[in-house]
Amino acid sequence: MIAIPTALITVEPVVSEQARPPRALCPEGFTAGHSLGRPNDVALQQRIIMDALGLLLAPPAPGQVIRRSFA
Amino acid sequence: MADKPVIEISRYCVPFTPFGGQLEAASICLVSTAGVYHKSDPPFDVNGDLSFRVIPGTAHASELRIADAHYDHGCVDRDVNCVFPIDRLTELTHEHRIGGVADRHFSIGFTQAIRQLRDDTLPYLVEEVRSTRPDAVLLTGG
Repeated sequence: MIAIPTALITVEPVVSEQARPPRALCPEGFTAGHSLGRPNDVALQQRIIMDALGLLLAPPAPGQVIRRSFA
Repeated sequence: MADKPVIEISRYCVPFTPFGGQLEAASICLVSTAGVYHKSDPPFDVNGDLSFRVIPGTAHASELRIADAHYDHGCVDRDVNCVFPIDRLTELTHEHRIGGVADRHFSIGFTQAIRQLRDDTLPYLVEEVRSTRPDAVLLTGG
């Protein structure tokens, strides 16, 4: 079986924690409908993606949702 | 169905798959629950839908649509990248910050039939993701 590493971007951390994701990032302050930030804010959206993908390289914290401010 | 793939979900352990490579060389696949579909495909039933859609890795956000009635669309109507950052992945590839974009991405829509989703839909979706062979999957919600 091929297993593929994943990273989750969630704006509902409490719900997501119930599923115990292997890697998860919650950009604080955003809600459903713009979990990657404001429309057409390229820099912010790229930063959130790279932070989420950065969890692939970070010390493992399986089951935790990392909350981070992007203000 | 005899050949139906099975998802083994441990009740006790987090299924953690290590990532052994570099982001600069990694192909990234998007898998979303945001109800995203390509404009050439049929939309999801916003009242409940257990199917999934395949989105070409070469697609632009302007070619994508959202079929959902359960979160505010004020932002995604202006920029689908707010929930499905396909253009951002292409840019990050060009900037050599990731290795590439997977040939295919995937989205499911809204459903409250969670058990049916897990048992009947997700095994097939997982097989499709596996056959795409990305180095990592970025999961997004609405």
